[in-house]
Amino acid sequence: MKLLTHNMLTSHVRGVRPGGGFPLRIQATEVKVNNVDFNQEFVARMIPKVEWGALLEAAESLGHLSDLPHQLPPEYENNEDFLRKVHHVLLEVEVMEGILKCPDSGREFPITKGIPNMLLSEEEET
Amino acid sequence: MEKEASQLEKDHVHRVYEKIAPHFRDARYKAWPKVQQFLSDQEPGSLIADIGCGNGKYLHINSQTYKLGCDYCFPLVESARNDGHEVMVCHSLYLPYRNECFDAVLSIAVIHHFSTKERRVRAIQEMARTLRVGGQMMIYVWAMEQKRRKFEKQDVFVPWNPSPPSWTLSNTCSRGIQKSINQKDKRLAMDQHSTKLAGTSKARSSSFVGEKETTHNLFEKSLRWSLFSRSLDSVLDLSNQWHQRELNTFSNCNIQLDELNTGKLFEQIRQGGFMKHISNLSLRCRVCLPDLLSHQKDVKQQLKIDYHSKQSAFRKLQNRSRTDSSLQDTDNDCSMATRNKQPQRSPNGACLRYYHVFKEGELVELIEHHVPELHVIHSYFDHANWCVIAEKIHVWKI
Repeated sequence: MKLLTHNMLTSHVRGVRPGGGFPLRIQATEVKVNNVDFNQEFVARMIPKVEWGALLEAAESLGHLSDLPHQLPPEYENNEDFLRKVHHVLLEVEVMEGILKCPDSGREFPITKGIPNMLLSEEEET
Repeated sequence: MEKEASQLEKDHVHRVYEKIAPHFRDARYKAWPKVQQFLSDQEPGSLIADIGCGNGKYLHINSQTYKLGCDYCFPLVESARNDGHEVMVCHSLYLPYRNECFDAVLSIAVIHHFSTKERRVRAIQEMARTLRVGGQMMIYVWAMEQKRRKFEKQDVFVPWNPSPPSWTLSNTCSRGIQKSINQKDKRLAMDQHSTKLAGTSKARSSSFVGEKETTHNLFEKSLRWSLFSRSLDSVLDLSNQWHQRELNTFSNCNIQLDELNTGKLFEQIRQGGFMKHISNLSLRCRVCLPDLLSHQKDVKQQLKIDYHSKQSAFRKLQNRSRTDSSLQDTDNDCSMATRNKQPQRSPNGACLRYYHVFKEGELVELIEHHVPELHVIHSYFDHANWCVIAEKIHVWKI
């Protein structure tokens, strides 16, 4: 599970407040780092689509925060240095084994072989 | 109603896909070209969700976009993961995605597995929730109206055959067919297998011919079901050598069984172009898919066979097929054997998948009447599927 994927994920357990299921807290037991070809335009276009705070939080929990800024720098589209760091965090860091925890309900979703299992039980389905 | 609907889907969608997942690796399952086009048309940097991605056959298209696949079936998701795709397991009525996060959403051959209208609507609404305003969704569902054959009703069970049985009986593959013949024929089958089968052999007992008829029919039926269900699943790749041989076999076999064999007809088939085979095939297919739960008849009882004409026809075909080694299907033994062990089977032993096949206009009506946040841009028929492209719009609530 890459961090770009994680940024889209939320918990929908019954009873969770609207928006309360995001972002899922990562507890990783196995993390992999890959080499992925850098595509500047692609990364620049992704940035407005991600929840920046959630991305920082996730990167930090995996020890890959490096020196990503808290705020987006102005005119980041042309800032290759910055974009390379974002590229690394979004696409090169993968959680292979671990748990995603709902911040509201505490419900844990396992990640196995890089695959998150987001299935809810019947009781949890809204 | 909800519990029953969910249980039906568990038994006749989820469990079946789990069983047949290993077979999905087959190169027979190609991607629909228009779906490929839809994906290629998305802007670079788009976030795309494939809801019900199966083994991920669309996830590699357009590398300028980021695709997330999800499916209920673990083995299929694992298969997609092994190809390097970002995938997860979830239920399409409860998507684990935040609102309006995707630029495009795909739903290819998924919604027809929901057993109530309410659940089909919910599936579409749930996908619409994850789509951003201005983003587009593409939905493909099986059509009730097919070009040459018709479903008798909208809610049907379709058997899934891993691969059709191979025709020739004089090689190892025939053992696979024989396994599916029931116990009382087994002895006959063993006798026949050890007999030297020359085209002009004199000694043929009627019991031998009787056993052949059973094999014929099982083969024919299996092949029909197999071709039919696979042709609906994806583009039946007619350019593919494997399919060509398969259909050649079928059309030859079928034609000779249905008509008194004339050498002329046979020759026509051989000389004619491949598409002629296909049109012959479709005409003879006449597959009308009944609700298989009510299908009680013994396969053998359905045979109406003139032994003598079939015998000579069969001998001729036999001759021909033995020289065509491409008919061997090495999967056949296993698939036949495993099929016999599985529960919930149609008469010829395949798994039954539940489908609600859609009538013309039904998918559009579903969206227009129940999903106000989607606006249908384009609807069309694509090779046995009803298809819709819809755009997410703002809905102002007063």
